[in-house]
Amino acid sequence: MRPSTIDTDILVVGSGAGGAVTASTLAAAGRTVTVVEEGPWVDPDALDPFSIEEMVAKYRYRGASAALGAPVVAYAEGRCVGGSTEINSGLWHRAPGDLIDEWRNTYQIDEFTPDTIARYSERIEDDLGVSRLPGAPPPSSAMLERGATKLDWRAVEFARVFRYEASGRGTKQTMARTLLPRAVHDGAEVIPDCQVLKLLHHHDRVVGARCRRHLDTGQDEVLTINAEHVFVCGGAIQTPALLQRSGFRANIGNGLKLHPTIKIAARFPHPLDHGDVPMHRITEFSPHLSIGGSQSRRGHVALALAESGTEHTEAMEDWENVSIYYAAIRSDAGGRVMAVPGLRAPIVTYRLTEGDLSRLARGLVHLGEALLAAGATELYPSVTGAPVVRRPEELAQWWAAVTRTNANLMTVHMTSTVRIGEDRDRTGADSFGRVWGTANLRVNDAALVPDAPGVNPQASIMAIAARNCDHFLAGA
Amino acid sequence: MTEPRTAGAPTPAGGSDRDATGPPRSVITGAAGWLGQNLVRRLAGDGRSVRCLVHDADEAPLLELVGRDAEVVVGDTRDPAAVDRLFDGVGPATVFHAAAVIHPRNGTREFFDVNVGGTQLVLDRARRSRARRFVHVSSNSPFGANPTPDDRFTEDSPYNPYLGYGQSKHEAEQIVWRAGERGDLSTVIIRAPWFYGPYQPPRQTQFFAAVRKGRFPLLGDGSNRRSMVYTTNLVDGLLLAEAADVAPGRAYWIADAEPYAMRDVITTVREALAAEGLAVSSRQLRIPAAAGVVAERIDRVLQDRGRYVQALHVLGELKDTIACDIGRARAELGYEPSVALLEGMRSSIRWCLDRGEAI
Repeated sequence: MRPSTIDTDILVVGSGAGGAVTASTLAAAGRTVTVVEEGPWVDPDALDPFSIEEMVAKYRYRGASAALGAPVVAYAEGRCVGGSTEINSGLWHRAPGDLIDEWRNTYQIDEFTPDTIARYSERIEDDLGVSRLPGAPPPSSAMLERGATKLDWRAVEFARVFRYEASGRGTKQTMARTLLPRAVHDGAEVIPDCQVLKLLHHHDRVVGARCRRHLDTGQDEVLTINAEHVFVCGGAIQTPALLQRSGFRANIGNGLKLHPTIKIAARFPHPLDHGDVPMHRITEFSPHLSIGGSQSRRGHVALALAESGTEHTEAMEDWENVSIYYAAIRSDAGGRVMAVPGLRAPIVTYRLTEGDLSRLARGLVHLGEALLAAGATELYPSVTGAPVVRRPEELAQWWAAVTRTNANLMTVHMTSTVRIGEDRDRTGADSFGRVWGTANLRVNDAALVPDAPGVNPQASIMAIAARNCDHFLAGA
Repeated sequence: MTEPRTAGAPTPAGGSDRDATGPPRSVITGAAGWLGQNLVRRLAGDGRSVRCLVHDADEAPLLELVGRDAEVVVGDTRDPAAVDRLFDGVGPATVFHAAAVIHPRNGTREFFDVNVGGTQLVLDRARRSRARRFVHVSSNSPFGANPTPDDRFTEDSPYNPYLGYGQSKHEAEQIVWRAGERGDLSTVIIRAPWFYGPYQPPRQTQFFAAVRKGRFPLLGDGSNRRSMVYTTNLVDGLLLAEAADVAPGRAYWIADAEPYAMRDVITTVREALAAEGLAVSSRQLRIPAAAGVVAERIDRVLQDRGRYVQALHVLGELKDTIACDIGRARAELGYEPSVALLEGMRSSIRWCLDRGEAI
């Protein structure tokens, strides 16, 4: 049996996009690295990608968490070795250069230029494998392209963190398949099923962490890990919650940003594919809103049709002809993460503005236009009681249908709860992620991204994390 | 505004197939509005063919009266099908986008739905119909109030949106800029302050009546300045923006020659009322400038919760200096305002009286 105390040089809390970059970079530099991951180590090939079974195994609370507010925004986080990279669509989008400039100026972030971030992005792209689908897109993705072409809107087939075989079969390059095995090869230890309860500190130095580890025997043990340096990489919800539980509160957990997302289950007169996620995005309305496709297995279709709150028995019987699409907005609002003593889960709040709600309604109308143009015959929006639309003349009814009480919203992109920069009034960590007021406690995940980027944030998270690791190694 | 409504095809009119060498066709949203009615009449008077979007079916006859070259489409800018009808077969035209909500009846959400969502749909259809130019009517509200009493906004002043209306007009400007920068179509932004002139809405008649009875409040000493624009001057600016080669990708302030001190606005309106033969009360309601500050605070709290109270909003803005410099429009468009306050107010008052409206 493992001793209940471990000594290490570098403790990395969390194994997602931020944690995996941190662990692999520091292990490759010869440091002694220990990664703890709250979730299980699931064989990446054991479950069908984008399936409900995968959701149950790899998501926190089986995918059911919610940011409180009106409307509530449901959110999903990975809780497994590899974090959200195991369950996301793998779309790869570098942080837009103009946003990098804006963030640097707003928060006074040192050594944070479009060139720097692009250089790190490129390194990770070469490393992981980022590519476009060889050959024709699957029908669910082609529908977005067809709708956009009919309306003369811009659409892009995004590259993904995928490697493709000669046969065309693709494998998502998740952290459990790439950087984490490499970190282990370079000597890192990865401990799954191990939740950090609290960081231990003496004055401004963090000395380690107290953890609860779930053993194969079914028992739990308390594990103490002593470390010289701690990197918290639990994502924009769990990271601030852990910091708050450990007594670090200044500008930690406020300023939560996310991309509120509204959906349509679209019925076509022909079958669509259900095993992948569309790689096309309609970019005509960026950066305010973007349009894309979601996972659409049978269970997802059932959930999406139910969210319309209307009669959908016939559409469900025809589920192979139904696919789910979304409109995601950049939101003016902000939210908060609050760890509450006695509660295991932090309380997350997010209050949409009137402008946000309007943008969601606009996104729904534009998405509806695209899907009808692509040949969809019935559109079920994720808005309780909203009319099912079959013709363009009916779309305008959705402006009034999208309200605080009726809209069913979700998000998978949470950021900005520990922003970086030298403006100490508005940031929780310095330009390289060291938590203000501490000597050796760093954050290195989505929490650092200063604002919701309007696109999939994985590339931004990984590039910023790699940059911070280099800074750490240069200074240590 | 009410629910988006659907309506039939454009009303038939004789001028749908204009000579290709003639002046460009024009498409006007918000055509039954204060500015829209002035613009449509000018264009029709110049022999131009106009396609008008009006919100309510009972507004259509107002514009059909204008002439045989005015076609009217009834619909809402938020309705993709209505905007499709507006642009159906219209060809390369000038689009004057004047439809917007300034005093919403159903809460602040309407600002964003109409002013941003409607603008996006009209822009999109303008692009797809290969419009030759898109002239977007904007406002001072994306810029807030001037920081000092002597300051005047130029086209380089920073954005500082004032509450819901200002935020929505700011976002609308952003999507118009982006369409221009991406090369989707040739766009010009015209920023207009407080209008006055014929075809005014009932709230302006109420303004005249309040001044006449001495009940329109003067905040503090009334030395704060306001730029205003007579509708004829504004229409001049729009037509210059349509034609000038330098205009695409630019924004212009269009206003009367100089901003007016608020107390001079009231004095001039009283003078205009008297000159049109109306008895004017000798009283003048004065309230402390602090009342405007309080009103703005309450307005802000309410708008945060999605609510809009017109009287509070107007009172909150009365204390501010909102003044702009028309130097760029003069230099680049050759704009020269031909009407100033007394003459413009007199003709507005006459317009009310001619229609039998009580002031």
